[in-house]
Amino acid sequence: MAVVEVSHATSDHIHPPPETFVQKYVFSFDHKVIAVQYFITTGLFFVLAGLLAELMRAQLAGPNNHVLSVTMYNQAYSVHGSAMVWLVIIPVLTGAFGNLIMPLQIGARDVAFPWLNMFSFWLFPPAGILLFGSFLLGAPEAGWTEYPPISLQEPAGTSMWCAAIFLVGVSSTITGLNFLVTIIKMRAPGMTWTRMPLFVWATAVTAFLSFIATANLSAALLALFIERTFNVPYYDPSRGGSPVVWQHVFWFYSHPAVYIMVLPAFGIISEIIPTFARRPIFGYKAIAYSSTAIGLMSFMVWAHHMFTSGLAQWVQLPFMILTMAIAVPTGVKVFSWVATLWAGKIRLASPLLFVLGFLSTFTFGGITGIFLASVPADIHEHATYFVVAHLHYVLFGGSVFGIFAGLYYWWPKMTGRMLDEGLAKLHFWTMFISFNATFLPMHWIGLFGMPRRVATYDPVYGDTNLFISISAFVLGASMLIFAYNALRSARRGELAGPNPWGARTLEWMIPSPPPYYNFDRIPIVLAAPYDYGQPLPYREVAPEYLAAVPRF
Amino acid sequence: MGIISALGMWGIVVFPIEDYLKEAAQQAADIDWLFKFMAFFSVPILVYVNGFIIYFVVRYRKRASDSIQATGSPIHDHAGLETWWTIIPAALMLALGLLSYNVLPKYYGAQAATVTMEAIGHKWDYEFRYPGLTQSVYNDLYLPINVPVTIDITSAEARADDAVIHSFWVPEFRIKQDMVPGMVVPIHFTPNRPGTYRIICTEFCGVGHSHMWGSVHIVSQAEFDAWFAAQQKQGASGGPRINVATGDAGAGQALFQQKCSVCHNAAPFDQRKVGPGLADIFDDPQHPTLVDAKKANPADVAEILEKGYTGSMGSMPNMQANGLSSTDIANLIAYLKTLHK
Amino acid sequence: MASHALTLDDAQYEEQRDHRLLGFLFFLISDCIIFSSFIFTYLYLRSAAPVWPPAGVTPADLYMAGVNSIVLFGSGATMHFAMESFKHDKHLRFYWWMMATILLGSMFLGGQAIEYTNLIHENTMWTTSIYGSSFFSLTGLHGFHVLIGVCFLVVVLNQTLSGTYTKTRYFGLTAASLYWHFVDVIWVALFSILYVWR
Repeated sequence: MAVVEVSHATSDHIHPPPETFVQKYVFSFDHKVIAVQYFITTGLFFVLAGLLAELMRAQLAGPNNHVLSVTMYNQAYSVHGSAMVWLVIIPVLTGAFGNLIMPLQIGARDVAFPWLNMFSFWLFPPAGILLFGSFLLGAPEAGWTEYPPISLQEPAGTSMWCAAIFLVGVSSTITGLNFLVTIIKMRAPGMTWTRMPLFVWATAVTAFLSFIATANLSAALLALFIERTFNVPYYDPSRGGSPVVWQHVFWFYSHPAVYIMVLPAFGIISEIIPTFARRPIFGYKAIAYSSTAIGLMSFMVWAHHMFTSGLAQWVQLPFMILTMAIAVPTGVKVFSWVATLWAGKIRLASPLLFVLGFLSTFTFGGITGIFLASVPADIHEHATYFVVAHLHYVLFGGSVFGIFAGLYYWWPKMTGRMLDEGLAKLHFWTMFISFNATFLPMHWIGLFGMPRRVATYDPVYGDTNLFISISAFVLGASMLIFAYNALRSARRGELAGPNPWGARTLEWMIPSPPPYYNFDRIPIVLAAPYDYGQPLPYREVAPEYLAAVPRF
Repeated sequence: MGIISALGMWGIVVFPIEDYLKEAAQQAADIDWLFKFMAFFSVPILVYVNGFIIYFVVRYRKRASDSIQATGSPIHDHAGLETWWTIIPAALMLALGLLSYNVLPKYYGAQAATVTMEAIGHKWDYEFRYPGLTQSVYNDLYLPINVPVTIDITSAEARADDAVIHSFWVPEFRIKQDMVPGMVVPIHFTPNRPGTYRIICTEFCGVGHSHMWGSVHIVSQAEFDAWFAAQQKQGASGGPRINVATGDAGAGQALFQQKCSVCHNAAPFDQRKVGPGLADIFDDPQHPTLVDAKKANPADVAEILEKGYTGSMGSMPNMQANGLSSTDIANLIAYLKTLHK
Repeated sequence: MASHALTLDDAQYEEQRDHRLLGFLFFLISDCIIFSSFIFTYLYLRSAAPVWPPAGVTPADLYMAGVNSIVLFGSGATMHFAMESFKHDKHLRFYWWMMATILLGSMFLGGQAIEYTNLIHENTMWTTSIYGSSFFSLTGLHGFHVLIGVCFLVVVLNQTLSGTYTKTRYFGLTAASLYWHFVDVIWVALFSILYVWR
């Protein structure tokens, strides 16, 4: 093992190396191991929640199917939504990618509070068990939003849901404050805010959103649980409560939550495009400041989920205006990313393919979001399949494509081996085409009359739904290609070396996979990392890492 | 890309939304226009974003002849470009905001409504109360054409387990309002196209949510008056809540397979499962009465479906437990009428 | 990790204390937000109610709560003096100020208990009305935090007595003190909107 030179210039110390199996792989303090733990757990929940989706689509393949009973169908979409939001997308983008990459990119040896990091992770499997276990006691049926009064009437599984999401909320809050302290305090010497990689910017804003917004969810869940269990009136209108209060508190969290789910993906995109276009990201400051603006504004738009709930007109107006306004920084980012492709020397490898898929589908989803921002239009579109289409375009087309882009990009760093490019491309095209085939038609049927959360529907939508269901099965199957690729890589993937893509951020200046202490010496940073064509702006990095030559 | 954009934009302008979804209320045309405005500007954005992606990836790809070290242009930003692509979307958003703001009063401004009535959501029916009628009308809303209407929307509160949020959506009117227990929210519109349109519930309300459908009938003033007079005649005794005269036998058949076939066959009486076979239920001389000793006619069958049965012959769940709305029961009755040996 | 505190050199301790301070502040902010959610719920329900308190509901007594508040704010002052004493190496005084703080904090909890009992005798309970649900939820959540705070203070006092903290290394004390002041600040908000605003 290399001698770890602990420099005192930055009060640099590292927890002692883990020795036993339990210390190394189970209760590890190492942010990289914790990241892998998050990857594995979120992967498992992705499969489970995805299977629920396939069951739902089997039921919806015909207008009056009985693949699932109505109750089971309702439970399926509720657990599908809850699991995807809280057990997959939020944890994988923050707990997995954030943990794996952020400390490396800022030149740190670990996060600010490694024990809390480990604790955050271990809250998470019990939460998953509680959520899926709710099926045993009558899983919730009112969707991931669980509006009272109906959520007050549901059987015990809904209380399990409350407990599960509360645990995830605690985990998310702790991770958020952990990451923000890390980014504020533990950047390598010379790394000013404007020399930080954009993924770190994204993680910082996300971390801020995490610990501020999630507290609201915790409060709402606590109140719902208390009302259900102890009969304390908050939301029950017959006792003076108000269902609309739940909606306000829930959405005050859940709107920032959707930005928690997409900002890290934006960060991933910002890392991948410069690497494969081999030129600086266009508009670094614009992207960094837009991310911050989006984060702050995300707290001001929540009631656009409530335009049909009976809010007064003077309340709806500012939310409409701010929702439209938030599209502007988002647009700036999309345009900046596309402009980065201009005059590049583009290598179309698999991470970039997923990024391009993201750009296409997320832009579409962002535009349908504008359709929903306008109050008169939203009144017609609310709670129809138009919204289902929109949310999947931004959460699947956006976040999931971003997640796969990041997975294909950082797989070599995490495992030391390459994934097969041919299989990766097959995965991309199958996923991209079947994704659009699944969700594009939903805009249409939603606008023309199909509501959400129905197990059966008017036969006039039968053909379209059958087409959607078939496409959805292909979409699910495309994930198997990735699974196979991953397994194959573990057994006979090509060795990656420290920097197969020739990238310039700090995580590529160390071996793959990185040693537990990350850096021999903490690097000193002289400039932002994206100046392809210039020498690498680091000191204290061994020369063999400074070559940064891509493979192709 | 310019050509594709122009084609797309022209296509949006001429697209006949009406052919796919009628505009049946005065504000529907404004909403459709707003929608087209948004779609009109979305087309070039989508075409150009996707177009530039494809174009750049092809035009600026690394060629085999390029060195492995080859990099792209070092340009970091461009103040002019960034300014324009911030200003133009902001301007579009502003325009959209103003246009939307313009349309809002048509939803929320009461325009001297001639008819003001109430709509109350139940599990899983719509109850309508008209001024001047003592009884409520369920699921079939009659309105005179070209008359401004205000409907006060709320949800049932009488029974605790009935009080959930529903929603009142008529796609052809482009109008939707959640029915929240404890709140009364008025909606205003003027229907301007005769016909029958569906009312759909879009807020999850329990196991019958998928079937919570009503119908709104836009008729001439004369027809409305006639209907209203007939309702008044039926008076306080209240017409049957379930309309056993009309129903969709096809939907009823699907429901039967889904809900009833567990216990009943669509076959002669003797072919029992848990309960008797139901073919020819309305004209079987050997079995002229039902299990509760009432006559085997549509109204009494509807009553058993509504209230359920518990007695010496066993028990059958009521409509709540089965997740049936009144429309469902009407459809089942219609189907049963078609079932012959 | 706390056991490393004495094995770190000064620079490392300073840095870790900085991190922990920031992390603790972020934690306190998110805790504030939980309170603000319940406060929002209370304000919304109150403004939507036709009359407040709802008909037939006996509200909490302002004067008793006022006395209790003085007790709590007093404990904030004693906490401040305790910290000052510690920083000036006056350990005996520190001990007495801390005991005073713990005592006053416990008295506050006792006062809450008495207040709750009175309300329950007047049939104002957690479950009977939205006044009850708001009042008991907010003061209960706050009381829970005070209880944790008192335990925190006892632990930290114990640690000081066994020599864990030195004149330059006393993050645990700082955290306890911050937490205690946070509890005070929350009470200012609750007292104003639950009792003073009629």
